[in-house]
Order: sequence, then C-alpha cells, then structure tokens
Amino acid sequence: MLDGLLLGLETAFTFQNMFFAALGCFIGTIIGMLPGLGPMSVVAIMIPVSLQIGDPSTTLILLAGVYYGAIFGGSTSSILINAPGEAAVVATSFDGYPMARNGQAGKALTIAAISSFSGGTIGVLLLMFFAPALASFAILFWSAEYFALMLVGLSAISAFAGKGKVLKAIMMTILGLMLATVGESSLFQAPRFTLGIMDLQSGINFVTLAMGLFAVPEAFFLAIDKIRGKKSGSKKSQEINNLRINRKEAKSIAPVIGRQSIQGFLIGVMPGTGATIASFLGYAVERNLASPKERKEFGKGSIKGLSAPETANNAASTGSFVPLLTLGIPGSGTTAVLLGAFIALNLQPGPQLMQDRPEVFWSVILSMYFGNIILLVLNLPLVPYIAKLLTIPRSYLIPFVLFFAMAGAYIGQNNSTELLILLGFGVIAIIFRFADYPLPPLLIGFVLGQMFEDNFGRAMRNANGIQFIWERPMTLILIFSAAIFILVPLIRDWLNIKKK
Amino acid sequence: MLNLIRIIALLLLAFSSAYGYLSYTYHLLPFERFLAVKPNTMPIALSIAGIICSIAILIQPKASNEKIESDGTVNRADGEYLKNPQNFNWVQGVGLLILACIYSISLRELGFIFCTSLFLFLGGYLLGDRRYIILIPISISSSVIFWYLVEKVLTIYLRPWPNWIF
Repeated sequence: MLDGLLLGLETAFTFQNMFFAALGCFIGTIIGMLPGLGPMSVVAIMIPVSLQIGDPSTTLILLAGVYYGAIFGGSTSSILINAPGEAAVVATSFDGYPMARNGQAGKALTIAAISSFSGGTIGVLLLMFFAPALASFAILFWSAEYFALMLVGLSAISAFAGKGKVLKAIMMTILGLMLATVGESSLFQAPRFTLGIMDLQSGINFVTLAMGLFAVPEAFFLAIDKIRGKKSGSKKSQEINNLRINRKEAKSIAPVIGRQSIQGFLIGVMPGTGATIASFLGYAVERNLASPKERKEFGKGSIKGLSAPETANNAASTGSFVPLLTLGIPGSGTTAVLLGAFIALNLQPGPQLMQDRPEVFWSVILSMYFGNIILLVLNLPLVPYIAKLLTIPRSYLIPFVLFFAMAGAYIGQNNSTELLILLGFGVIAIIFRFADYPLPPLLIGFVLGQMFEDNFGRAMRNANGIQFIWERPMTLILIFSAAIFILVPLIRDWLNIKKK
Repeated sequence: MLNLIRIIALLLLAFSSAYGYLSYTYHLLPFERFLAVKPNTMPIALSIAGIICSIAILIQPKASNEKIESDGTVNRADGEYLKNPQNFNWVQGVGLLILACIYSISLRELGFIFCTSLFLFLGGYLLGDRRYIILIPISISSSVIFWYLVEKVLTIYLRPWPNWIF
C-alpha cells in the first residue's frame, strides 16, 4: 500500500494533474449552481471533453473534481434562493435558506464550504485506508437491507416535523411515495397512474417537483410580502455580515462534522444509496441528538442543521467511490456515469485496478484531497460576492428566482408541459404551506419511493415471502430503528396533546 | 387556519381514495397476477395508509397556537398571511404565477431569449420597477448570457428565437 501511495502522490501532484483537479472543481462548482444540472449531468457533459486529454489519470482526476465541485455548487442555490437542483442538497436548504433570509447568507455559505471540505477530506482519508475492507462489507447488503435502510430514511421524516406536525409529516411522506409510483419503474415496465398523459410515462421529474415545492412558493411569498426576511429597523435589505464563524460556533459544529463524515461515508459506500439518503439521515440524526433547545432551531437557521447534511453529502460522494474503484460496482448515479469513463479509457475498475494500475487508483484518491482544498480556497473568498446576490432589488431577484426554477425543469427536457406541472406543484405547495403542512417529507418520500418499492419487490421475490424481515438480523435491526424513529415523536405529540 | 388544515386533510382523503380505486382496478397482466409483489401492491398499501392518516388528521384534537418567536427579522409563519390578507400584495404574487404560466406556454413558440427577456421585464414591471433603462438591458443580457452558457458551452439545445424566424 505504501508503494501505491507514493506512486499516487507522484502522479497526482504533478502540475498538469493539479491544474486539471482545480479546473474540474471550478467547472463543477459553477455548473452545479445551475438548477437542474446535478453532478450526474455535469459529469456526463464533461466526459467527451475530458476524454480528449489522453492520460487516464488526468481524465479521472478532472471528472472526480467536477463531481464533488458540483455537489458543493448545488448547495449555493439551495442556500441563497431555496432552489435545490439536486436531491443531495435538498436538506441543505432546510436551515441554509432560513439563515440566508436572516441576513446570514455569508455565514451559511462559509459553514457549507467548511463542512463540505471536512466531510470530503475525512471521506478521502477513510477511503485511503479502508476501501478494500469496506467493499467486502458493502456486498453483504442485499435488497432486504436496502429496503430496511430506505425505511429508516423515510421514518427520519419525524426530524422534519415540528411539534404537533408528525401526522402531517407522515401524510406528506405517503403523498410523496404515491407520486413516486407514477410512470415506469425498474421492477414493473408498464407505466402506472399516467392518466393517459404521455409526458408522465417516465414519471415525474425530480427537478420539476423540487422547484415546484420550494422555489415557486418562496418566490410567491417574497412577492406578496415586501418585508419578508428583512431585519426589522434595517435600512438595507440584506446585511452581509458574519462571514466568519466564531469559536463557540466552530466548537458546536465540530462533533457534527466528525459524526456525519463517518456516517455519510459509510452510507455512501453502500451501492445505490448515495449522497441523498446520507444528507437526509445526517440531518435527522443530528436533530435527534441535539438538546431540546437546539432542536427548536432546526428548520429556522440552525448551524448544526446546515453543517450535518453538507458534511454527510460530501462524505457520501467520496464513499461512493469505494464500490466503484474496488468492486467495479457504481455506488451512485454519478459513479455509474464515471464507470462509463473508465470503460472508455480501457480501464476495468475492480479488485484488479489496484494491482494492475496502482498509479490510476491512488492518484484519483489523492487528487480528491487536493480537490477538497481547492474547493475551499476557490469558494471561501467568493462567499461575500455570492452572498451579495441577495442584495439585488426584489423586482429583479424574484423574477430571477422563478426563472431559475423553471429553467432547471426545462433544460434537458425541452418540454413546456414540465413547466406547467412545476407551476401546478407550486400552487399546491403554497396551499400546503398556508396550512403548515411540511413539504420536505413529500420530497423525501418521492426520492426514496422508487428504491423503496424496487428493493421490497426484490426482497420478497428472493425470500418468497415476507420472512426476510426476521430472518436477516441487519434488516430486523434497521426496521426496529425505523419503528423507533416514527413512534417516539408520535407518542410524544400524543402525550403533549393529552396534557393540554 | 385550523379549518384549512382539515379541508386539506379531507382533500387528501379524497385523493387517497381515488388513488386506491385506481390501484385496485389496475389491469394486471396474466403473469403479474402470480407475483409476490404486484404492480399495485405498494399503491394499495399506500392508499390505505393515506386514508388512515388523513382521517387521523381530521379527528386530531385542536392544537394550541404556537407563539411566533421574534428574532429581529420579519419571519412570518406562512399561516399568518391568511389571518390578515389585506396587509399583503396578492395581485403581485398571483400575477407572477400567471405570468409564469404564460411564459411556460409560449416558451417553445417564441423562443428562449425573446420569451425569457419578456418574462424578466414584465416580472420586474409587475413588482413595481419602472426604471426601464436598467430593467430592459438586464432582462435581455441575462437571457442571452444564460442561453449562451446552456446552448454553446453545455451544448444543451434551446431554441433562441420564435418559430417563424428560422
């Protein structure tokens, strides 16, 4: 391993490779800020360009940089305008956007940058030392365990439900699961619930739903309420202050970063889970671990609530390289696209890659460490300027937010019906918000719904019945955890109501 | 506001029932009838869960009003807008949504640059901006820059101009 590390160091830290790592981070960050273009699309767009380079190590270093740059870039639009263009950064908006509305946009972006850097760096260290061992752990997870893990993810919706709202959160999750059944699935090829509409054959587009649920209502509320989010008594619409975090804040997010780096990485290691479920679970776990006083701040601009998903999603995106590099199994949609790049470069990822092409294997891993530093160095000085976007007058900002949301749904689909569906969801989301129904559980249900049903179906077929739940210990433990996640807040709410 | 919660719960009950009906009457192919998990297994389970949950929300006891915390910013709870509707500018909000609908319908016909410039200009006008000397150049330049980035740099096709120009 030491020889491989030294070879990787020699390869990764050449001027050419460092330049391309930095370029990849920059391109990924900029394009990742555009709604509708998540890491998978950005990497797919860059593959033809990067293959022209010729050198396999340099190509993969560039693409890896684009990947985690895009993860970070997506969090910027999530924080500033509540327009998460990718599933992995939805949880970032829960506390990032309220912080931005409170005039702490700069601090929010800084915390996001530091958390992403920390999660990515710790993830790279774990990848370096534990990749082969973790790969053998990952293949122990079958459909039954994935089904149970999805159930844990769904049950974590209690984290997004405030006091007295658990039932509403459960209802919204069920609604999200229902929306996920629209269209075709990998288990059943015939489309379901399309109501004869051709555009729904392939299901509802995630970006359409996310923008409709978050960006459109926010634009609406900003339009009807002139002083929404402004500091009372302040002359300027947004003050750019508090770019730095103080020692107390750093001390409070340090344990969050430590925990979520490891948890996010381990979740990312499992093929098919990826950064999305890592970010949601990270948020839920930290909310449950927080003190009652801190828990009230979640959803209203808690720095822990921002740091947790940001750390987890970057750690998970690093973790998703484990099955790709060691087993040749893509750990997420983006690594599936990267697998295509490997094949185009005549490289076979898997157990042999470490032995046959150690310079490729180790240089990709070590370049991630450098790439994370580049992300921090590139983005921290830009934070004050990016945060200043919120000082744009509302007559320009609000139409831009709406346009951004619609462009995200339109790009790639080139279908006006998507925009009408987006606006339809937006109107429904506005009505839900008037009645205080939480929207994040709906999106979580939608994102996890497909995987939930597919894994359940496969587990049932493999086990010829439902006995897989108690025959597999890991499945039983996860289902039990999911039950605790759901029942404890419900019982707590019921006891509160009874007391009053 | 509490009435709105129950109205929405009632609508969700209706939706879950309709969804359940569609699931139950889903036409299974001959080989699908013998599968452990059929295409309508999960939908039926979800519709039952949806019906139970919406009924539970309907019969839930009235919750006490939460105190709105003052933290120096004007962060209204969304339900507050319906309590004093006269204090807010609904025309701008609804007008913006209608404008967005018109934008969606006309985007393919009028082309991206033309339609987007018009949308940004009219959106700013609707929100009260009358500084045409700033509004018009910003609307046009933003549309052009965005189109260039997406079409030329990212090579994602977006027709720039109306049908009848090309």
